[in-house]
Amino acid sequence: MELSRRHLLLSFAAAAIGGTAACGSGGTTTGGTGGGGAKELTLWYWGGGLSDKVVADAVKQFAGKTALKPSVIGGDFKQKLVTTMNGRKFVPDITGIKGENIASMLEEADRFIDLNTLGADKLASQYVDWKWKQGSTKDGKLIGFPIDIGPTGMFYREDIFKKGGLPTDPAKVSEEMSTWDDLFAAGQKLIKAVPEAYIVSSAEGVWDVVVGQGSKRFIDESNKFIGDQAHIRSAWDVVMKALQLGVVAPKFDGQDTNAALTNGKYATQIGAAWVALDIKNGAQGTEGKWRVAHNPVGPANIGGSFLALTQQCRDPKLAFEIVTWLLGPENAARGFADAALFPASPATYTSSAMTEGDPFFGGQKTIEILGEAAKKVPVQYEAPADAAVGQPFKDEIVNVWTKGKNPDTAWNDAVATAKQIAERQGVS
Amino acid sequence: MVSTRQVGAHARRSKGALRSFWPQYLAISPFFVLFLVFMLFPVLFSVVLAFQKWDGLGEMEFVGLRNFEFLLKDSLFWLSLKNTFLIWFMSTVPTLFLALVIANMLNSSVRFTGFYRIAYFVPNVTSVVAVAIFFGSVFATNAGLINVILGWLGASPVQWLVNEWTIKLVIATLICWQWTGYNAIIYLAGLQAIPTELYEAAKIDGAGPVQTFFRITIPQLRPIILFTVVISTINGMQTFTEPQVLFSSNVANSANSGGPGSAGLTAILYFYREAFNNNDYGYGAAIAWAVFLVILLFTAINWRLVSRRARAS
Repeated sequence: MELSRRHLLLSFAAAAIGGTAACGSGGTTTGGTGGGGAKELTLWYWGGGLSDKVVADAVKQFAGKTALKPSVIGGDFKQKLVTTMNGRKFVPDITGIKGENIASMLEEADRFIDLNTLGADKLASQYVDWKWKQGSTKDGKLIGFPIDIGPTGMFYREDIFKKGGLPTDPAKVSEEMSTWDDLFAAGQKLIKAVPEAYIVSSAEGVWDVVVGQGSKRFIDESNKFIGDQAHIRSAWDVVMKALQLGVVAPKFDGQDTNAALTNGKYATQIGAAWVALDIKNGAQGTEGKWRVAHNPVGPANIGGSFLALTQQCRDPKLAFEIVTWLLGPENAARGFADAALFPASPATYTSSAMTEGDPFFGGQKTIEILGEAAKKVPVQYEAPADAAVGQPFKDEIVNVWTKGKNPDTAWNDAVATAKQIAERQGVS
Repeated sequence: MVSTRQVGAHARRSKGALRSFWPQYLAISPFFVLFLVFMLFPVLFSVVLAFQKWDGLGEMEFVGLRNFEFLLKDSLFWLSLKNTFLIWFMSTVPTLFLALVIANMLNSSVRFTGFYRIAYFVPNVTSVVAVAIFFGSVFATNAGLINVILGWLGASPVQWLVNEWTIKLVIATLICWQWTGYNAIIYLAGLQAIPTELYEAAKIDGAGPVQTFFRITIPQLRPIILFTVVISTINGMQTFTEPQVLFSSNVANSANSGGPGSAGLTAILYFYREAFNNNDYGYGAAIAWAVFLVILLFTAINWRLVSRRARAS
C-alpha cells in the first residue's frame, strides 16, 4: 500500500474506532460464547499474578455462563486500577490486588464487594487465618480473597555449610539455628572457615523478617505510631548485632546479587517462599546445592496477593464462583507448579504437585518446611501508611550497613523521620 | 493562498476569522486538544491537589498550606534537592564542554561527517531505561565491567552503586553519555552559521586557532550556549528515570529509595515515591510545585549569568 496522506488518515481513523470498540467491550456487547447468561466479566491481573494456564482453563470452564475476559495489565498495576476506579468506567469485574496495596484498598472497602455476603465466610476455615484477616476490614468484611502467600524460611547452601563445619541437614539446621544469636554465632564460625561466606545476605532482609515475626508493626489499630516502642527497637537491635558481628555480606544489587548467589558469598537467603524462584533463576550452576530450613525464631510473611470484586461487578455471584474456582485447592496446586504461587490453603500442601522433591534443593520436599511455616505466621495489623512509616528504618539500616553510621544516631534519625511521615499521613 | 490583506481584515473580527479559517484551526486542533486534556488539565489539577490530603481513591480533604509546611521541615526533600543540584552540576558541565569540543571536531572533519553526526546522536534516542540497566551492569560491584578492568590494573573494586558520591557520578555519567551528542549537534548547527569571513579576517590578522576559538567561536555561539544551558537545566532538574531504574532492583525491599543513603534520590523521584508508592498524592503535588518554582528560579539565574557575560564581552 502506498503511504499517502489519505491512507494514513484512514488507518488512524480505523485504529481509533478499533480502540473505542475494544474499550466498548466493557459495555453491552455480548460475546459469541455466551450460552446461558449473555454477559461478560473482565478479570485484571499482572504478569505472574495468576497461572495463565489456570486462567485460560477458567475461560473454557465458564464459557457456557459468561465470556470471561482476562487481561494481563503491565506497568504500575495499582496505579492503573486506582485510575480506572476513579474514572468509574471500564472498571474490571474481578481484579488482583498486590499484598503491599491491600491495606490501602481496605480503607476504601465500599468500592469493593464484601465477599462474605457471597458465602466466602463458609470457606474461611480452608485458608490460613492470618491471610484471611489481611484481606478483611476491621469490621469483618472480606475484600481480598487469598491468591498466594509468602511464608519465610532460610534457604542455605549445603556445600558451604559443610565446609564451614555447620550442620547440613534441614531439621538440624532449623534446630541449631533457632535463635538469631545462634545463627550469628554460626555465621562467625562459618566466615572463619570459609572466607567471604556470609550467613546473612541482607540486613534489610533480616529486618523485614524480624519485624514480620511480631504481632505489631509501626502503627496500631487505633492509628497510633508505635514504631519507637520496644518491639521495633528489639528488631532493630537484632539487625545491629548482625552488622556488628560482621556476619552480613556487603550490600549487593542487581547483577551482583546473582554473582553472590553463584559464587557462594551468600551462604543463605532468608526470605519468602518465592525467593526460591529468584535463586533458581539467578544462581546458575548451583543446582542441588541448596536446602531450605526454618529461619530463626519463627516464620513471617512477605508478599502474597488477593483477588477482589469491584463494586461495579456485573454479576457478583458468578464472579465469586470464578474466583473460588481459580483459587480452589486443585488449581492452587497448579498455580504453585506453574507460577510458583504458594497456596494459602493448607489442604493443598498434601497434593502431589507440592509434595514432590525438588532437584534444585537436592530432592528435598520443601513443602515440609514452608508448609509448616505458612501455618505459623502471626496475625499482624498492617496500616495503610505502614510501608511509608517503616521506610526510614530501612534507609537508616542501609546507612549503618554501607556507611558505618553510628547505630544510635541512625535509630534516632529513623524514629524522627518516621514520626514526621506518620504525622503527614494522618497517623497520630 | 490567503492574501495578507485578507488576514488583516479578519483579524479585527475574530468570529469571522474562526468561520473562514476553520480548516486551519481544525488542522492544528489535535495538538491543542491533546494538550488541554493531557497537559493543562493535569497541571491545574495538581495545583488543587497540592492543598489536599488524598490517598488516590477516597475523599479529598482540604488541608490548606499544611503540605507545604511539611515540605519545609522535610529533611528528605532538601536532601533530594541537593542531590538533584549536584547531579545536574556533575553532568551538565562535562556534557556541554565535551559537546563543544566534539562540535568543533565535527565542523573541521572532512570525511564521514554524516556517520559521526548520527553516531553522536544515537545515545539521545536510545531508551533511557535500557541504558540505565546497561549502566547498572557495567558499574556492578562484583560482575561489573569497570571493576573487572580495575582488577586487571591491580586496583581494588569500587562499590559504585553503594557510595554516596559514586552513585551520583554514575548517574551523571549516564546523563552525560546521553546528552553530549545532542548538544554537539546543536553547537554544530551554531558553528556552521558563523560567517567564514570572520575566520578569514582573523587569519589575516594573524590569530592562531586557540585565539580564534575564544575570540570568534565562543562569542558567536553565545545564544546557542544559552539555549543549551537552559535546556540542560530544565532536563537536569527533572532527573528521574536514571536513578529509578538503577535502583529498581530494590523495589521489593524499599521502593524508589534512590540507593544507599538516598544518594540518588532526586526531587522528581521523591515526588513519584510519595505520590505513587506512599499514596500521598497531595504531598506529591506539593513537591512537584516546589520543584517547579526551584527550576524557574534556577533557570532565571542561569539566564542572567550567561547572558550578562555575553553583554560584557
